[in-house]
Amino acid sequence: MDHLKDLINQAQSDFSLCKSLSDLDHAKAKFIGKSGAITDAMRQLSSIPKEEKPKVGAEINSIKQAIEALLAVRKDEIQSEAMESQLKSELIDVTLPGTKQSTGSLHPISITLQRVETLFRSIGFDIATGPEIEDDYHNFTALNIPESHPARAMHDTFYIGHHVLRTHTSPVQVRYMKTNQPPLKIISPGRVYRVDSDATHSPMFHQVEGLWIDEKASFANLKGLLQDFLQSFFEDDNLTIRFRPSFFPFTEPSAEIDMSWNGGWLEIGGCGMVHPEVLKQVDINYDKFQGFAFGLGVERLAMLRFGINDLRPFFNNDLRFLKQFIR
Amino acid sequence: MQFSKTWLQTFFAKSLDDYDLSYLLTMAGLEVDEVLNLDTLSDQIIVGEIVGIEKHPNADKLNICEVNIGQKNSLQIVCGAPNARKGIKIPCALVGAKLPEFEIKKAKLRGVDSFGMLCSAREIGLQSDENDGLYELSQNLEVGLTIKEALSLTDKVYTLSITPNRGDCLSMLGIAREISAQTKLNVNNMTVPETSHKFNNSQKVLIEEKNACPRYCGIQIKNINNTGKLPQWMISYLERGGIGSINPVVDITNFVMLEQGQPLHAFDQKKINGDIYVRRAKKGESLMLLNEQKIDFMGPELLIADNDSPLALAGIIGGIESSITPETSEVFLESAFFQPEEIAGRARSFALNTDSSHRFERGVDYNNTLRAIYRAVNLIEEFCGGEHSDAIDLVDKLPTRHLIKLRLTKINKILGIDIKELEVEDILKRLNLSFSKKEDHFEVTAPSYRFDLNIEADLIEEVIRLFGYNNIPAITPQSTSSITKTSAINKNLDEIKLHFSNLGYNEVVTYSFIDNESEEKLHENKTIIELNNPIASQMNSMRSKLWASHLETLTYNVNRNQSQVRIFEIASTYHKHNNEIVEEQMVSGLAYGSKYPEQWSEEKKSINFYNIKGDIELISCNLLDILSPKSSIPTALHPGQTGEIFREGNHVGWLGQLHPAWQQKYSLDDKAYLFELKINSINKSEFNAIELPSKLMPIRRDISVLIDKNIPVASVTDEVKSQAIKWLVDFYPFDIYEGKGIENNKKSIAFLILMQDTYKTLEDNDVNKIVDQVLNILQSKFSATLR
Repeated sequence: MDHLKDLINQAQSDFSLCKSLSDLDHAKAKFIGKSGAITDAMRQLSSIPKEEKPKVGAEINSIKQAIEALLAVRKDEIQSEAMESQLKSELIDVTLPGTKQSTGSLHPISITLQRVETLFRSIGFDIATGPEIEDDYHNFTALNIPESHPARAMHDTFYIGHHVLRTHTSPVQVRYMKTNQPPLKIISPGRVYRVDSDATHSPMFHQVEGLWIDEKASFANLKGLLQDFLQSFFEDDNLTIRFRPSFFPFTEPSAEIDMSWNGGWLEIGGCGMVHPEVLKQVDINYDKFQGFAFGLGVERLAMLRFGINDLRPFFNNDLRFLKQFIR
Repeated sequence: MQFSKTWLQTFFAKSLDDYDLSYLLTMAGLEVDEVLNLDTLSDQIIVGEIVGIEKHPNADKLNICEVNIGQKNSLQIVCGAPNARKGIKIPCALVGAKLPEFEIKKAKLRGVDSFGMLCSAREIGLQSDENDGLYELSQNLEVGLTIKEALSLTDKVYTLSITPNRGDCLSMLGIAREISAQTKLNVNNMTVPETSHKFNNSQKVLIEEKNACPRYCGIQIKNINNTGKLPQWMISYLERGGIGSINPVVDITNFVMLEQGQPLHAFDQKKINGDIYVRRAKKGESLMLLNEQKIDFMGPELLIADNDSPLALAGIIGGIESSITPETSEVFLESAFFQPEEIAGRARSFALNTDSSHRFERGVDYNNTLRAIYRAVNLIEEFCGGEHSDAIDLVDKLPTRHLIKLRLTKINKILGIDIKELEVEDILKRLNLSFSKKEDHFEVTAPSYRFDLNIEADLIEEVIRLFGYNNIPAITPQSTSSITKTSAINKNLDEIKLHFSNLGYNEVVTYSFIDNESEEKLHENKTIIELNNPIASQMNSMRSKLWASHLETLTYNVNRNQSQVRIFEIASTYHKHNNEIVEEQMVSGLAYGSKYPEQWSEEKKSINFYNIKGDIELISCNLLDILSPKSSIPTALHPGQTGEIFREGNHVGWLGQLHPAWQQKYSLDDKAYLFELKINSINKSEFNAIELPSKLMPIRRDISVLIDKNIPVASVTDEVKSQAIKWLVDFYPFDIYEGKGIENNKKSIAFLILMQDTYKTLEDNDVNKIVDQVLNILQSKFSATLR
């Protein structure tokens, strides 16, 4: 019986030599396999005296259990060693760059316009668009700029036959007012064109104009709205604006909009109360309704927002410039 | 409009230095563009007089001048100016004087000592002079005086942008009036005596166009000397007003125009033949203008003419023939009021913009016509001598100023302020607007110099201008609470842009203009929309496609070493259909170079047709079919690698490789792929009907067949799908092989067949039936053989 007790020590040393699960299987056979020592001992039980049987049997069983326990422990050890080495072998350099397509981007003008639209939509403005090749009526006459009015010289207009390339997005407002009844609130973003080209002027640029008509929208409201908008747009609650008297044929009174910027004032757009003549053109009753309009240069907003002091990169489309506009 | 501050000061008794003039004018609506400070010249430049002159012994072009500078000893100065001569007074820079461009040192010029320099106008920083000669000063200036004092260079020059409505501020008088309204300072009274005449006016004037020219004043002046020079202050005011000195009479008419805002014209009386007519031009007549531009008249132009021929383009510019010269001794002076509508646009139609037309088209004070002419006559007699006739003053229907109703309630409602009646009254008074008070409103009449005050809104602007734009409160408007109907198309534009950018495309913004050669050849446009007045020849047409612009962008970037370019743009394209211009919004773009940016984990590979096709399929959510072209293939594209894009059978765009010939023309090393899509074709108006997924496993079978190489795969998949085989849920190619082991005219395609029953797992039996059905179609319709 004593040799059986040695089995535990033997199993422990045998198992510890096993490096893999199949080695372990092999080693296990020697003890608790079909022809293993424990199995043999169980078989030999029949040949021992009946009264000793329970005691010996119990002893063999406990030895078997001890060996099985050793086996389980070793099995765990081998498995975790294997996992360990697998993990080690699968080590990668996570600092290498990820596989990817090139950096896509939205144009700064789009990013700017989207933000402007989002802010105005949040207070119930609708977005209106219209044609870029306009007729004289919608671009000028309906906006109180008759033929030969000196104000036409303010707009260096591109002509296509008798049509014009719109010099502002105001014709969209005319079209909208003709088909919609007040109260109304719209912004009209888009491309506009003027015969002008240098470091600060582009023959094509973008404008966003706004229009608000109801029974009480006032000049003071216009100032409030624009200040609120610019504060939100530039994320600066201390930003203030200043109105300066100006002239646009389609508004009366009219104002240039200056905003506080780096300790001074910076012109950011034009605005005013919609001219009674314009309201008349679109059949809106001046004694019942009033309202205001404003126009902002999108490139200007983008330049200020992104800290760019040159207009040309917006139209050069250099990928090294464009790829920086990721959010 | 630019002016001398010193001149402006003469209109006020009180010093303007107490005010921030720039701010005041700007906040009055007369925007100050620039203030030029003239007080920068060295005190060591003084008035000198050449008292002796002799030729330089060693240099032909140099003279040795003896210059009196008001001290005991005169200076010896070597000078090369052609107009250096004894007796003239000139600016003299002493040794040590700092000029705008350099410092004066004692020098030896070809062996002769020189102790200073005699200066031209440019050398002392006066802008107007362009010739090299010495700046000849007025004889009555005292020798030794600093030039700064002599020319009152302590002055400032203000440049204003006057808006078209404020024609009344295109004069010193007008600006002074505005300052007075803003500050309540009084403008000095200026009396212009209508001096008595020495002879009777012999010039007959006939106004044929009384509507166009409701008032015409004329005075003759005889025996003048037009060869002198006006006093320096007058020349300075003119120069600082942006007008160069020509001769005394012309200078005086310009001076009065700047002062009073009334353009005048002086004719050489001896060049006028017979009577003066204010009449329309006749077709075929022509006139050589003062600026030596010849004008051929079309007919409706308003002229000043004599018995023989046109003398001047009324209110715009005179003719050279009858113009005033230094030799002129008899003058006929004209001061008229032309209707703004008559002049407006006319000067521009001849590409002219004169000081005169600029004022007339904005409106000139029709009550100041006679006063202005007398002002000029008095000045001419003062500085050129001579005597004048009585004045002709032909007056017809002058403009009338209507009563304008101005309601206090309307003022406050429009402006959103709370101004009181008394304040409004005060403002009206300050603006010289005559008014009477009614129960709930004012009845206001605008003065003759204000052409911009016609309706109540105009007066409301005046009220707020004087109330102060800075006093307008910023009041957040109250918004209605109804939900805005969001425009689906705009929302989708943003989504499409984001989608492209997520696929690695960069959004570009290119000009809507293109050169007409690209339009004609690359875009194959037969009805090009050309601009009447393009800004440059490469931008003379409106584009019908974006491709040429995008190829330009590509070249720009390839030239800057970009090896991979993926760009897109959403913009209008412009087309002419039956003479109607149609705009269509397209999303268009281009991909070039490698499939991926160069990186360690991807093999370097050029993009191909299918990469871009996949991007478009993703973005369009499979709404589009990109198929073999049915329309004729654009010449910009490779005929064998072009897909026409359809939405429900309708053409919506193109995708293809840039034609190798164009690739060569653009000197591109790699292939470029172009696409364009009508923006509306990507729009979904409704969501798809959504099916809940089955709990059962779908079953997949693969089949591999040989078919004719030329059969488009889409026709096979379309055919199978169109047969509505029960439980067949998807059928598509997952492998295609041609080449070794396959007959020359065949290709091998492996299709995936995906099947799914709604209620039970399909049994082998059912599965085989479906596969057989598919095979049947492939065999019968496409002569496919199973591999």
